[in-house]
Amino acid sequence: MAEKKRIELMVCTGTGCYAGGAYQIIDGLNKELESFGLRDEVTVVATGCNGFCGQGPLMVVIPDNIFYGWIEIKDIHHLVEEHFLKGRPVKRLMFKPPEEKEPLPLLSDIPFFKKQLLVVLRNKGIIDPEKITDYIARDGYLAIERVLSSLSPKDVTDEILKSGLRGRGGAGFLTGKKWEVASQQVKTPKYLIANCDEGDPGAYMDRSVLESDPHSVIEGMCIAGYAIGSTNGFIYVRTEYPLAIKRMRIAIEQAEEYGLLGKNILGTGFDFEIEIREGSGAFVCGEETSLIHSIEGNIPKPRQRPPFPAQEGLWCCPTVINNVETLANVPVIITRGAEWFSSIGTETSKGTKIFSLVGKINNTGLIEVPMGLTLKEVVYEIGGGIPKGKKLKAVQTGGPSGGCIPASMLDSPIDYESLQKAGSMMGSGGMIVMDEDTCVVDVSKFFIQFTNDESCGKCVSCRDGSEAVLEVLTRISDGQGREGDIEFLTELGESIKDASMCGLGQTLPNPVLSTLRYFKEEYDAHIKEKRCPALVCRNLIQYYIDPNKCVGCLLCIKSCPTEAIKGESKYIHIIEQEKCHKCGQCLEVCPPKISAIIKITGNELNNLVQLTEIISCKEWKKDHEYS
Amino acid sequence: MFDNKSNGKIGSALVVGGGIGGMQAALDLAESGIKVYLVDNKPSIGGVMAQLDKTFPTNDCAMCTMAPRLVEIGRHKDIEKITLSQVESISGYPGNFSVTLKKSPRYVDESKCTGCGACVSNCPTRNSVQIVEKEKVELQPKYAEKVSEIINRHRNRKGPLMPILQEVNAAYNYFPENILKYISQETNYPLSHITRIATFYSSFSLKPIGKYTISVCMGTACYVRGSGILLEQFREKLNVKVGETTENMLFTLKAVRCIGCCGLAPVATIGDSVYGKLQSKSIPGIIEKKKVEELQYAQVNN
Repeated sequence: MAEKKRIELMVCTGTGCYAGGAYQIIDGLNKELESFGLRDEVTVVATGCNGFCGQGPLMVVIPDNIFYGWIEIKDIHHLVEEHFLKGRPVKRLMFKPPEEKEPLPLLSDIPFFKKQLLVVLRNKGIIDPEKITDYIARDGYLAIERVLSSLSPKDVTDEILKSGLRGRGGAGFLTGKKWEVASQQVKTPKYLIANCDEGDPGAYMDRSVLESDPHSVIEGMCIAGYAIGSTNGFIYVRTEYPLAIKRMRIAIEQAEEYGLLGKNILGTGFDFEIEIREGSGAFVCGEETSLIHSIEGNIPKPRQRPPFPAQEGLWCCPTVINNVETLANVPVIITRGAEWFSSIGTETSKGTKIFSLVGKINNTGLIEVPMGLTLKEVVYEIGGGIPKGKKLKAVQTGGPSGGCIPASMLDSPIDYESLQKAGSMMGSGGMIVMDEDTCVVDVSKFFIQFTNDESCGKCVSCRDGSEAVLEVLTRISDGQGREGDIEFLTELGESIKDASMCGLGQTLPNPVLSTLRYFKEEYDAHIKEKRCPALVCRNLIQYYIDPNKCVGCLLCIKSCPTEAIKGESKYIHIIEQEKCHKCGQCLEVCPPKISAIIKITGNELNNLVQLTEIISCKEWKKDHEYS
Repeated sequence: MFDNKSNGKIGSALVVGGGIGGMQAALDLAESGIKVYLVDNKPSIGGVMAQLDKTFPTNDCAMCTMAPRLVEIGRHKDIEKITLSQVESISGYPGNFSVTLKKSPRYVDESKCTGCGACVSNCPTRNSVQIVEKEKVELQPKYAEKVSEIINRHRNRKGPLMPILQEVNAAYNYFPENILKYISQETNYPLSHITRIATFYSSFSLKPIGKYTISVCMGTACYVRGSGILLEQFREKLNVKVGETTENMLFTLKAVRCIGCCGLAPVATIGDSVYGKLQSKSIPGIIEKKKVEELQYAQVNN
């Protein structure tokens, strides 16, 4: 490792920050440091995902532990001069909780980080993911060394079994159990697959693990391979994650170079090779049997189980498929022991879980928390609440297979069983926060559209069932809902669950069923009153210009693509409802100070003043000032 | 409908094609009292279903579905089968029309044949293998070199098809028909199998796509932050549907599922550049800028 410098700048280069220009920031930093002659004292490290994606591009200054977010190129000169040369941290770039005046300089003080417990992401933002030496310096590859030198495959499996580690991909099957079944199979060769086909929209923890700490996955895979007696591993990564693929490739090369992967690992005679396979954009490939078919080069459609892949999988050989996050847990369990691991979490759900906390939330990002924390703690303490003081409506977990948990159930703990009981599921760990501006019918429609698109077409119930559900939901959100639609959706949902073969179909109706359970009145409003309370469904809303507020600035008229707004300068503008496309452009351009344009739904229009002829703002004011 | 003679409609119907659909149609018509002529250009009725073992998606036995209908048609007095026939012309109007059929000779007297099968088993050419000469696909040199290099690199690995298709797709952005045929010829995978895979995944395309792909993220996080409106805006500005390419082959509009930049929601990518926290009002400007850049690029290259 390079010599220790006075200051280290940990710049996050996860996909979010990368997209925000993290590498330009690094170049800028290097250039400025050069010009101030600080290159020997300050070093810039490109780390993996820091987790606080909502603040990106960001960096942490070590050893001061100061956090800077939303860095722009133009800030760099000032930042380098003030902080690294003169030693005065720049307050302007620090994290400031909403509604507070003073920023929080220290990373450890920021509530987003405070409540987290880092097990899988223990190295996030601390190491350079493209350097194996960084990982080794953080006790990396100690576990594989211990496993190969002193434990038998059975010891390893028992240890994992004892830790209570459950699959982090969604279903929550005991990892040790899976390994045990595979290790008992006589047939060889055996295969190990790390599943990183993270298709759930709004979830990106697996990507983050591969990007910030690829070696922990490699180490976990080696240990798993040793436990089940496999010498060939595959990592199946979505093609949408180019950075993760690149970093994984580098990590594999380095591990091979150091003798930690390949033939005769650490001189113990144990061989293990890892190959990267890319997906090509099919959600169903996350299902294990589909994934196997995809690697084999067949049509990636699921097949009936049993036989389970652990008995008969890739090329008809015993195959263990573990989620990336599960595998990244393994080295820690080995080094710190099963007791330690099982002391974290709840009775049935052990350890920690990574969630991507996204949607309508102040602190967007990736968090790792012990199982059993309540949703309230996650949303309000870590997440910092809902932006713009809006009210929380629901938290959606488990992606398209999960459901919406209403605000009233925020006190329920996060573990496999509680979420299931609430009609949702753990899933891979997407946690999407929705505020009062989110319409549940619209969101259900969105998820069904997704599953309808991604259904492989093998089972009629899933292929045609999703089509039918989508049709009804579209009708409801278009204001054509009929009496009996809710009953129909419930019945259809239940039958799709019963009749589908793989996880995709079996969980497809969950978003609809769970919202029907908790937000029935909102469906009723759409169907019976033709109203969208959240003001989202296009055919049920209207845009309206408040004559008391409009100053006649012409901005909305210029922006309207359908020329539906009439008016002149200093004259109150009027939206002609028949021409309006409801694109929302006018609402966006109306200056926030004035905000004369509002959305209304149902027959609210009848209760409002409807102008037919344009009149000047002055005249209107005169007439209405005192009334 | 038969009482309605005044408008000139006659109570008989012609069903073209004796597959499972045609057979059912003929039976339904005959059951309601209409005289049916069932025409097929094959020597026998039954169609493709006779060749199937199971049917999608219920896995029902194909023969069990069609056999009762075959028998029923054979014995129905109102159905007249005309096999080995092609429709030449039709005149008249619905309900009253004449059809000219061209009937090929069977060389067997249908009225006497009992279907014993003896002639079939005694036919001297029946069991000889009839090889269909496969057309050899030759690629243009500029493609051939690259594609065969890719194929050769992956040929010996297990499950070579996906890596090959991925690399070819990366090289050409889409699959020209000839290349798919060439891959089939070189790897010995049937073309039908390759086509099924090429059409299953969303990142593969059989049509050429534009220079820049505009991908609007429709992940949940982006969706609740309004990416649906962005997509609409792009669609209007580019005047294409989702999945289509603009006429000048510059932009292809796509809706993608989560690119994992939820912190920047709503997000769209154009080519390699990412646009985070995108607002719909800035879209026209972005497109115009890309177009201008492209124009300048073209001028420099000319």
